[in-house]
Amino acid sequence: MDFLIFWLSNVPGFATPFALGVLGMIICERSGVLNLGAEGFVLVGAMSGAGVLISVGDVPFVALLIAGLSGSLLGLLFGFLVTILRVNQVIAGLIMVFLAQGLTSLLSRNMDWVNKPFAGLSKLNTGILTEIPVIGPIIFQQDLLVYCTLLFYLVAFYFIYRTSIGLRLRAVGENPDAVDAAGGDVILIRLLAVTIGTFFLGLAGGYFTVVVSKIWVDGISGGRGWIIIALVIFARWQLSRALLGAVIFGCIEALIPRLAAIGVQLPQYFVLMMPYAITLLVMVWSNLNPKNIKAAPASLGRPFLREERH
Amino acid sequence: MNSYPTINKRKGVKLELRDPMNFVNKFIVLILSIFTGLFISFIILVLSGVSGSALWKEFVVYIFTSEKNLSSVLIQASPFVVAGLAAAVAFKARFWNIGIEGQMIFGAIAATYIAINDIGPGSVRLLLMFTAAGLGGVFWILLPAFLKIKLDVNEIISTLLMNYIAFNFLLHLLYGSWRDPSTGFPNSEQYDVFEILPLLGWQSLNFSSVIAVLLVVIIFWLFVSSRFGFVLNVLHASSDMAKYMGIRVSLVILIVTVVSGFLSGICGFLVSSGIESRMTQSFFLGFGFSGILISFLARDNPIGILVVSLLFATLVIGGQSLQVFYQIPFAMVQLMQAIIVMCVAASEFFIRYRLIFSF
Repeated sequence: MDFLIFWLSNVPGFATPFALGVLGMIICERSGVLNLGAEGFVLVGAMSGAGVLISVGDVPFVALLIAGLSGSLLGLLFGFLVTILRVNQVIAGLIMVFLAQGLTSLLSRNMDWVNKPFAGLSKLNTGILTEIPVIGPIIFQQDLLVYCTLLFYLVAFYFIYRTSIGLRLRAVGENPDAVDAAGGDVILIRLLAVTIGTFFLGLAGGYFTVVVSKIWVDGISGGRGWIIIALVIFARWQLSRALLGAVIFGCIEALIPRLAAIGVQLPQYFVLMMPYAITLLVMVWSNLNPKNIKAAPASLGRPFLREERH
Repeated sequence: MNSYPTINKRKGVKLELRDPMNFVNKFIVLILSIFTGLFISFIILVLSGVSGSALWKEFVVYIFTSEKNLSSVLIQASPFVVAGLAAAVAFKARFWNIGIEGQMIFGAIAATYIAINDIGPGSVRLLLMFTAAGLGGVFWILLPAFLKIKLDVNEIISTLLMNYIAFNFLLHLLYGSWRDPSTGFPNSEQYDVFEILPLLGWQSLNFSSVIAVLLVVIIFWLFVSSRFGFVLNVLHASSDMAKYMGIRVSLVILIVTVVSGFLSGICGFLVSSGIESRMTQSFFLGFGFSGILISFLARDNPIGILVVSLLFATLVIGGQSLQVFYQIPFAMVQLMQAIIVMCVAASEFFIRYRLIFSF
């Protein structure tokens, strides 16, 4: 029982960055922009969050905000490349990853941010609520961003499915020509979607350093950006399934250190492989259902070429 | 022609489709954009505290006036060429092989297995290692290829996830049973003399360059004059058209991924046997992405891959001396590659369109 409570109380902390990242990806890809640069935006967010805490001081929420904004800044470049300059979206995404790896490594070395521990954001102390047996530690002893993430999901759900802005976003992803004919600005909508989406990817990255590791080293996200992309496919670009996927993945990631703690002996490097292997399984499992393959926004990955329409 | 009215209310800038540009102009744009990328990198380096004259010396003077450095560039270029070919072959069938690094790891693991267990007589050891490396690479691409063909699992993500799995397996070996017994360092024991690619007689240039050039010739033949090359071109242009022509698309994808995996495995072998003489824990770093970028810059043309690889290798060798003498992290090289490719990718816009300013 103690094992179960301990495990479940760790789940939200592991699930939150995935939830944030997938939320960002869905906003971006619902507009038809294929974003394979997730790993890059996460890295940039992670480094900026750590950088603020090391250089400015103990201001975790500012750090998280800056993490998101720096994700957006790189996102603007990405958006400029794919919407205005119409660069192949796969290539542009890969360039973002490569660029971010180089940039974070160079900048953190120049600023001397590598391997410097900081206080970061600690878990909320809700006093009496924490004392409630079982659900106390699971629900009431988390950091503030966990609760914010739920709020983000509610707001995003409302915007995407219940407002005309959301309708436009979805329409651009399905049929940009129709939106254009109706007088909508496809490029602007996509640019906005990319900027907002990459904000959440940067925030997810910030979570990795500000809340989880409380230190920056090169390549700290360790491929989680790619796992986020896989989760988007699992989620069929839908918010409710995204949250489910993030929680399932959080459960798995939280389980691995718990197993080691109760003395289950597993070869270290095979344990480290598990998240990637499981992601691969999740992708296989998602594609076994033909519904999933058709779930992608119809114009995903295709640039909008008004001048070339005949 | 092509004067469709285009309206852009807000900016006063209009876009117009150009007539297709001829080869010479395209080439000029390509060179210009590469130089733009180099110039941006130059500014970043100067901001990081390296003087302009030092950069000129490290990247141009020392490399092209010293035979030793020139040969280092050529040695460094060989695995780049092969990684570029691996990416290009797969991309011809619209299969994005992002898993080159994982396949390199398994190629090198297979070759190293032959080396440390002394399988086969010494005279054919290198040939065995070469073959094993290729097959190791094939082994690591088969699962993503199969998943792509049978279930349409996105190969970009599956091949990438396979990289992380391969990397952890490599660490498992190097921190476990394959740790160098003589030094205790987490890399394989050094290969024997007959397990290292032989020198060619000029500086430290070795057989890896010959292998790289041979592979370029073979892939060039495959793309340009073979029947299979024609099939690939059709598939690259439109998979629907390929289907209507009776081409078995899944079979083509299988062949192409096997070739791509084989090349990646060879690439791993060229680094471990041709450069490092052992299998280290980071020998593959950067080759996967570089391969994709090289193939993109070269428009999947094997001869172009050869040229771009030389450029990338020059950046790497220059970057190594910057690392030693100016403490610039090696990631700078990665950043430069990304910036150059970004400029070239952006330049396609200006090849396709003409901007018309009307104020």
